[in-house]
Amino acid sequence: MTTDNPFRLGLETERIPDPCVFVIFGASGDLTRRKLIPALYNLAASRLLPPGLSIVGFALTDTSEEQFRKSMREAVGSFSRRKPIDEAVWGDFVSRLHYVTGRFEDPSSYARLRDKLEQLDKTNGTRGNRIYYLAIPPSVFRTVNDRLAEAGMVAEDGGRYVRVIIEKPFGHDFASAEALNADLHRVLAERQIFRIDHYLGKETVQNIVALRFGNAIFEPLWNRNHIDHVQITAAEDIGVEGRGKFYEEAGASRDIVQNHLLQLLMVTAMEPPVAFTADEVRDEKVKVLRALKPIRGDDVKRLTVRGQYGPGNFAGQPAPGYRQEPNVSETSTVETFVAMHMEMDNWRFAGVPIYVRAGKRLGKRCTEISIHFKNVPHALLTQGASGPSADASRIEPDVLAIRIQPDEGITLRFAAKVPGPSMVLRPVTMDFRYGSTFGGSGPEAYERLILDAMLGDPTLFARADEVSAAWRFMTPILEEWEHERLKDLPVYPAGTWGPPGAFELIERDTRAWRRL
Amino acid sequence: MRLSLDKVEPELAKLWEEEARRTRATRVELLTLVALVSEPHLYDRAREVVERVARVHPLRTVLATWIESEHAGITADVALHRVSPDGPACGDAIAVEAAGDARDWLPENTDRLALPDLPLCVWWVGDLPDYDRLFDRMARIADVVIVNSEEMDLRDLEKLSTVSARVRHTCAMTDMAWSRLRPLQEMVARFFDDAAGRECMRALERVTIEFSPRAGDKEVASTQAGLLFGWMANALGIRAEGVQWKRGPTWGEATLGRVVARFEHHPRPDVPPGSIVRVALEFDGARFDIERQDDPRVFRWSRETPGAPVPPQTLGVDIAEEAGLLIRCLERPRRDYLFENSLQLASKIVRPIAPRLSSLPRPM
Repeated sequence: MTTDNPFRLGLETERIPDPCVFVIFGASGDLTRRKLIPALYNLAASRLLPPGLSIVGFALTDTSEEQFRKSMREAVGSFSRRKPIDEAVWGDFVSRLHYVTGRFEDPSSYARLRDKLEQLDKTNGTRGNRIYYLAIPPSVFRTVNDRLAEAGMVAEDGGRYVRVIIEKPFGHDFASAEALNADLHRVLAERQIFRIDHYLGKETVQNIVALRFGNAIFEPLWNRNHIDHVQITAAEDIGVEGRGKFYEEAGASRDIVQNHLLQLLMVTAMEPPVAFTADEVRDEKVKVLRALKPIRGDDVKRLTVRGQYGPGNFAGQPAPGYRQEPNVSETSTVETFVAMHMEMDNWRFAGVPIYVRAGKRLGKRCTEISIHFKNVPHALLTQGASGPSADASRIEPDVLAIRIQPDEGITLRFAAKVPGPSMVLRPVTMDFRYGSTFGGSGPEAYERLILDAMLGDPTLFARADEVSAAWRFMTPILEEWEHERLKDLPVYPAGTWGPPGAFELIERDTRAWRRL
Repeated sequence: MRLSLDKVEPELAKLWEEEARRTRATRVELLTLVALVSEPHLYDRAREVVERVARVHPLRTVLATWIESEHAGITADVALHRVSPDGPACGDAIAVEAAGDARDWLPENTDRLALPDLPLCVWWVGDLPDYDRLFDRMARIADVVIVNSEEMDLRDLEKLSTVSARVRHTCAMTDMAWSRLRPLQEMVARFFDDAAGRECMRALERVTIEFSPRAGDKEVASTQAGLLFGWMANALGIRAEGVQWKRGPTWGEATLGRVVARFEHHPRPDVPPGSIVRVALEFDGARFDIERQDDPRVFRWSRETPGAPVPPQTLGVDIAEEAGLLIRCLERPRRDYLFENSLQLASKIVRPIAPRLSSLPRPM
């Protein structure tokens, strides 16, 4: 489309999306208020939305368009990264907001929705282009897709595009993920499906690709010859925060590990793609998952650790245990912490342990990937040293740490000589921080991902085979945990770094978790 | 206390050591920004701008100025930029004063003060002089030369174009006024994103650019208006040869083949002088319009194309101050071919109404 536009050549914004109607199923929900509408508003404020774009909320809640607009204004006021609301931008944005009350299973609701969309096509020039954002529980994905198809609302005829964005969880195990994919593929082509994992929209995650493939110095070291091990941590200091019901079904493994952590692993471990295009990138990512050594049977006990937070503290204040959280069973055996020792069977990473951990109510909020390089092959600089001097001269291996959040940036730890007459080495760091280097706040993950979906670029979205492969790896572990039928999980006090088993998992390999 | 230039680095090192003890601030610097203050009255403004830029881009700034004197010499003053008055340090602040003939030594000495192996950006503060070798010599040592054509006369576009062409193999040139045009360019571009818009392109008949003139300005186009049209002409493949001008006291019309470009004064005290107020494109049967509203930060974008309805859009555009424009220029310290091409075309188009002094008899 816009590649034919000579006025776009050389401009920072090389493309803006074709006009479309952006339909949000589940428009009265939290995701719409907290993320979607603020993201769309921010895109409007950045002048990245096309003229004619319309947004239609669809939900069961019986509310007027006026009331919907009012409530979305409150949402933008509370959750947009741009404050205060720019009245001129809002004035234009609000005129694009519409609402249709309807039931997900009711065909007549879709007929009304279709009429509304067709009317917008006529007045706004949206030409039948649609984005359907399913901000709804996965249990109704199938119903909504079927009804949309029955109403003739998903066919890409006459040059129009129809895309469906779905939110995780994409299934709860391998079988259900396959079933979900099959359901989606009954009515949609894979190119129409955009499975969102907001981690991939984060600038810092995209920067891993830039770091690896935009610099010549790292990639030669990025393999088993130089890397001792990799650690990936996704730590939250908060608890389940009112999401007890969801968490009881998901647990840390389904909430974080199966998607976000494996996404981070894929970006860290993938081979350079032939081109930075959606399928080339995703082909390489899937290969990482396929290369993961399955963890099955007795290995589950040996290579994985679960835990649940008990009462403790949060930043120095008393914090309840998981079982004391609202909507959580008093006898829950759902894990709020997972640690794993993974390995990959491929040329690049064979024999390199990958330690991952994720959890709630840990010591601090921090998501980080750290690449721990091998130690020097010969302790040249400690030769002849003895006693305290030898100890002081012990060389700490180099570490490259990529912080995803907060305080996004990259740190390289290496050894330097302490000034003085003797050869004493000390680890020092070179630090790059996004905040202090580039200043200002970049776009939020949802802004980037929604814009990409409008532009039809699925690079940062999960493909069906990616989701399946992730579940294929996780499901035997989950099943083994089910079979264990534990009455109680190892408990760690809120505010600490997980149960003792998490430390044993890495320490038995004579390694240690990095202090975050 | 003013220092000789060889004392600058030790003094800065001392300041950072003290800072590390006090706040544990890390010394991070991404580039050197040399601000050459061409007129004394611009000094305070330039200092304020570089201080604000340093809060966003960790950098070393060299603020250079010159004074009349019989004794040639360059001295410096050093300090650290701070995020806030009591906040941590965020860059080196070097103020350089050249006395008398030492002005000629500024290029090699600012080069000496530049951070090693990092881009050296030179910001020429103020109007571009007609005859000043300093600018050309600074361009030779810089990676990027930043000017603000908002402060220049229309005829300076030609000088900029010439310098840009001459130094293009060694340094990039960019213009704050050009960076101010980015949102407008994006708005113009969106007219042609779809097929219906692009179909009109060949039928373009008239472009009207209204701009807010400087007080008492006799020129019928601002540098921004000229650059914007130069960019449009570049995209449309319009050639400057044979341009014919008509002009009135507050307007000028250039005929370039089948396209007429009209530039017109539209005074607006609430926008920086030279800023664009309206851009209209007229085609056979279609009309595209971008108009600044009463709120100067707001534009109304509208397109009337037969058979392809598009609702008008209201778009917000912050009126960037000088520091904001400079930050934009520093974000991409590299060659901007689009700017170079647009500048070249613009300078040719406006030449008949803004002849360079060099084409007139040189002053004695």
